[in-house]
Amino acid sequence: MAQEADTLMAAQVYSVQVYPVTRAVEEAFLPALVTAPTQVADVLRRFTGVQVKDYGGVGGLKTVNVRSLGSEHVGIFLDGIQIDNAQNMQVDLGRFSVDGLEAVSLYNGQKSLRLQSAKEYATGAAVYLRTEAPRENGLRLRLRAGSFGTVNPSVRWNRELGKVQLRVGAEFTASNGKYKYPYFDTTLVRENGDISSLRLETQLFGKTRGGQWQTHLYSYGSERGFPGPVIRRATGFPFSAERQADQDLFFQGSWQQDWSGRYATALRFKYANNYTHYNTHPEKNPMALPYDLHFRQQSAYLSLAQSYVLMDPWSVDLSTDYQYNALDSDVGQFVRPRRNTLTAALASRLAWPGFRLAAHLVYQGTWDQFDERQAGGWSRENAFRGVWMPSFSIFYAPWRWLEADAFVKRSYRLPSFNDLYYSLMGNSSLEAEQAFQTGLDLRMKWGTGPWKESLRLSPYYNRVSNKIVAIPTSSQFRWTMLNLGLVDVTGLDARSETTWEQGDWALTIVLRYSLQQALDHSTPGSQIWGNQTPYVPLHSGSIDLQMGWRDWTLAWNTSLCGERWSRSAHTADYYLAPWSLSDASLSYHWKELCAGIHLRNIFNQHYALVQGYPMPGFNGMVSLEYNW
Amino acid sequence: MLLLCGTFAFCACQKDRVPSKDATLDGQTVDVSFISTSAQKLFVLNEGGMGSNNSTLDFLRFKDGKFVNGAFKKMNPDVATGLGDVGNDIAIHGEEAWIVVNNSGIVEVISAYDETEIAAIPVPTPRNIAFDNNYAYVTSWAGAFINYGADYSVMDFKNPKGQVYRINLTTKKVEGSVEVGYQPEGIAYYDGKLYVANSGGIASQLPPTYSYDNTVSIINSASFKVEDTVEVQVNLKNVYSDGKGNIYVTSLGNYYDIHSGLYVVFASAASSQKTGHIADYVSVSAPCGDTVYCIGTDSEFDWSGTPHTYSAWSVTGRTKKALSWTITEATPYGLGVLDADTYFVGDAGDYFNPGTVTCYYKGAKRWSVTAGVCPGHFALY
Repeated sequence: MAQEADTLMAAQVYSVQVYPVTRAVEEAFLPALVTAPTQVADVLRRFTGVQVKDYGGVGGLKTVNVRSLGSEHVGIFLDGIQIDNAQNMQVDLGRFSVDGLEAVSLYNGQKSLRLQSAKEYATGAAVYLRTEAPRENGLRLRLRAGSFGTVNPSVRWNRELGKVQLRVGAEFTASNGKYKYPYFDTTLVRENGDISSLRLETQLFGKTRGGQWQTHLYSYGSERGFPGPVIRRATGFPFSAERQADQDLFFQGSWQQDWSGRYATALRFKYANNYTHYNTHPEKNPMALPYDLHFRQQSAYLSLAQSYVLMDPWSVDLSTDYQYNALDSDVGQFVRPRRNTLTAALASRLAWPGFRLAAHLVYQGTWDQFDERQAGGWSRENAFRGVWMPSFSIFYAPWRWLEADAFVKRSYRLPSFNDLYYSLMGNSSLEAEQAFQTGLDLRMKWGTGPWKESLRLSPYYNRVSNKIVAIPTSSQFRWTMLNLGLVDVTGLDARSETTWEQGDWALTIVLRYSLQQALDHSTPGSQIWGNQTPYVPLHSGSIDLQMGWRDWTLAWNTSLCGERWSRSAHTADYYLAPWSLSDASLSYHWKELCAGIHLRNIFNQHYALVQGYPMPGFNGMVSLEYNW
Repeated sequence: MLLLCGTFAFCACQKDRVPSKDATLDGQTVDVSFISTSAQKLFVLNEGGMGSNNSTLDFLRFKDGKFVNGAFKKMNPDVATGLGDVGNDIAIHGEEAWIVVNNSGIVEVISAYDETEIAAIPVPTPRNIAFDNNYAYVTSWAGAFINYGADYSVMDFKNPKGQVYRINLTTKKVEGSVEVGYQPEGIAYYDGKLYVANSGGIASQLPPTYSYDNTVSIINSASFKVEDTVEVQVNLKNVYSDGKGNIYVTSLGNYYDIHSGLYVVFASAASSQKTGHIADYVSVSAPCGDTVYCIGTDSEFDWSGTPHTYSAWSVTGRTKKALSWTITEATPYGLGVLDADTYFVGDAGDYFNPGTVTCYYKGAKRWSVTAGVCPGHFALY
């Protein structure tokens, strides 16, 4: 698909600058997915090399970890602008709906696209969420409903206003989160796992001569309960009464302009305001610690990317980003951290159609400020952190049936506000955590007549050093964060896709396999040295089957996960058995109408991605969509 | 099959001669030849990690030098939940071991003889335990609920004070509670009174005052009412009675400008001169007879990750004595003292994976075994 686009654009001047140097390692086009995932996490969990941590249910936290780098190293970008969280460096993917998105893609190395922001160069791995391109006037209504009292209506309205395209979207989700789970030798129903959320967004798209711009106003409000881990609890006491309310708001925009054919710029901005109210409700739960906390995080972001074609096909890019983060809270001894981050990236690219070469150098400097507080443990000496991140990418397509790209990259993830400044925990002298990555992607494709076959093999090696870990001090109640961890990751991702199309019939089979050895090399001589790190399966994979006949589409997915341990110590208590999970979907298109039925965990398997947080058994959903 | 039968016959035979059902539990073999004690077992309670439901009970059997891991689960296979989430205290009363399982809301009573369950008593957020002749007394953080039972009456739930629940030793039922200070921790009984250390560990993080508690609540066990409250130091933790009128209380300090330390409350003195300071730096502590043993470090406010150097000392009466103990642990988490020459240190390691218990004799390390996660509490039976 991308190859065709390449040819199409070849007529334009400097066209080879329009595509990334390396290809996405995985890309999912959402309108084509009939399996109807409602959350971005459901799309990502099938990608090779990706582990999704999921605490279960619609409202449970979902984070993504790529090739054992740690979720803090994975940048999540919405239309090229990062969704960031300075408080804990983790983005809850459960909050991002696939509604309104066109594609989700994953890059392990550098995407290295012309006019990228500096922050795009500065993450270990990058997940790109792309909203749908502007469309013709129309209204789309969708209603989904299913197990656990889940209702999910959404509406999207596209309108052309002169030269400007407007899109307004709204989505409501409610679920009672009640599902059966094995509680030791009996079965209980998950309580206090309900959620309701409302997402409202407005997007504007416009064109200038030689350029385009877009803005995005996004608000997300939710109220949810946390059911808590499965533990022994005295009869009569609830497991949890914890509730959290969130109000997230952001306004972002970008303007890309080609000034002369040689020189082009991209301007991006964002303001985000996230408010969280967390309450353990001790009046409802005698086991609760009486916390009633409020957090407000604000960030402002401005980015300018410039690209200049020195001599076709050689171009250089300079991207400069500035970001401000602030966190306020009524937590005891809170020091109200503020952070200024300047990121600058210099990229140089040589891009012929069959051969592309790119070198990048990123500098990121952060300056933290915080209030003086009595509790101490924080020093101002290390408030400034500066890191250099070099990387190289190469792409080579010697024959039509073979493509290869390779990368080597060093990146850092900054310590979060929690790592540095949290009461009785933070350590302000932490350094940034370092990731060294190198990988190779080999892609082959062939086919005759109705058959098409493609195969990708991706061996890789990562080393995460100076890993930030929590360590107890002389008192069990006062911990500290230290740069102590070291993990070596060696792996192989493989993906095969077979398609067959004839007459009214279409068939796609995608097979994925991941081999991942992530070994703890933190403390030589320790009991756990050389052990596989928690939650990483050595083997995992999936089988995707999609079959179409006229207006009918049937899809089947089976995911497989090998044995895991929830601790580095591989004892029986921390063993997590292998599991397999199968989903199926059937959908039917009739003129403007689309109806579907989606069955998940068909064989009602009991499994958990995180020990103590059981996932739902068999469940289903129906969906109905109408387009005017 | 033959082997199985043989094993069974052996078990049956053992049962006849040694009635304790746990005698067949195997474990890591350690050298106990230098230990002289009349006790049968040293229990080690591993706290586990909060929310991980992995508190476990280990014991060292002096008779054959076996260190048995996970004894509660092995002896109570029908208690599918295991011991539970965060075992915070263990104490022996007669032939029973009482285990306080904090985040399970359970006070677990087992036979100290063979670890089989006798009762699981619900108590909200229980912390520590002490006994008189009729009752077990359990400190609790759940002060929002003054009355235990079907109807909770909610008091101040924004910043609630804690309670001491009392449990009838015969019926194993809760019989009322009394309000003490913020987040009560250690408790000790002496001469008709209960001494409760109030920490304020949660209150220190709550608006509007963000302050630790600094008091010991003194409860008359007959009337079950607080009859005195004595200011000692912030963030109090353990309480020990020497049986001679000295009540020792440890403070964790405020991790900033007040160091951890050991204080004393004089049981018989008038309210105004009731307390005294003995010494600073207490990371872990344990009583043995009329003496309290402490391990601490003077670099306790150094959060840089540099390993701390620990030293040990003891207090008898009001006299502090430096000890020439070797402490090889990077993170000592629990201390058990058998006699002046023999002591055990629990090392929590990374607090996430199973830790170790190390035996020392006459100041030198003798052996080390793998325990559970966070081996923090010792009890001798």
